[in-house]
Amino acid sequence: MKEPDRKLLEVLVCPQTRSPLRYDRERQELISDSARLAYPVRDGVPIMLIDEARELGAEE
Amino acid sequence: MRKRRAARTFHDAAFLHHRAAADLADRLEAIPRPFKRALAIGGSGVFLTELALRPGLKARIESVVNADLHTGDVLIDLDRLPFQDGSFDLIVSPLLLHWVNDLPGVLIQLRRALKPDGLLLASLFGGQTLHELRTSLIEAEAELTGGAGLRVAPFAHLQDVAHLLQRAGFALPAADRDLITVRYAEPMRLLADLRSMGETAAFAQRSSRGLSRRVLARTSDIYRERFSDTDGRVRATFEVLTATGWSPHESQQQPLKPGSAEARLADALGVREHKTGDKAGA
Repeated sequence: MKEPDRKLLEVLVCPQTRSPLRYDRERQELISDSARLAYPVRDGVPIMLIDEARELGAEE
Repeated sequence: MRKRRAARTFHDAAFLHHRAAADLADRLEAIPRPFKRALAIGGSGVFLTELALRPGLKARIESVVNADLHTGDVLIDLDRLPFQDGSFDLIVSPLLLHWVNDLPGVLIQLRRALKPDGLLLASLFGGQTLHELRTSLIEAEAELTGGAGLRVAPFAHLQDVAHLLQRAGFALPAADRDLITVRYAEPMRLLADLRSMGETAAFAQRSSRGLSRRVLARTSDIYRERFSDTDGRVRATFEVLTATGWSPHESQQQPLKPGSAEARLADALGVREHKTGDKAGA
């Protein structure tokens, strides 16, 4: 599995709320708690598009 | 979406994008300073390709993040950049910004993504681009349908770009332009080229009806009549605007404060100074 670049992860913020993101290595997602969105990371490439993000469930 | 679909055939007809990337690299070579962290946006990675050919320049740039709409290290939406303020000391963007709906807004976002004293170098198609095609289209439509629809995306003009850079908070803003003439065997080849570059949507915004075959055929005729060279080939103009701006920093040249002049302008010009309210020449 290809990991996203560490330095890149440091500068990414949520495109909707501009708040910091959590990297969920297991699920390969970047999570924006403030927007309640999870951005997919595919083959090490963060997809920072709101249209492609998954809405977080109530428990997450 | 149209842009994304075009990615597959991009490299076949990407000469303008390669040329734009080479031009931006030339400009960077003339700026003798190291860059720690660069962001390249647009052009499907052409800037990285260009950088690979220039080891001297490449050595001065520690790392490059390649961001684009459909391929790269990170996929982004230009209207909502996902970068923390002050993340980069260089942003390079060959031929992309003519796509954005809100150029002033995008420029502000790019300036914020720069560290103080960071550099933006971006090229985009300007208002003279494909004027031959647009004239032919409008005339063909007017002839055949009795009215010309507005199909042409509003392109920025040179003076707009410098002004927008300044309004977006860039220091030492500058814009210049380059007119490139490309010659085609016939107008339809130009359209095919635009399609493979993914640029048709940016040049000719389709109404829901689209263009009929009749209008296209007439456009092609008018184009040939009006914009051919003696050897029968047709000309297509591309205007490339290049925008340069720096994120403000105290080390840069600063304008003087109003009233800080030590000599009177009137003395320098050898004329009589008029009080406010006097009419010049009265």
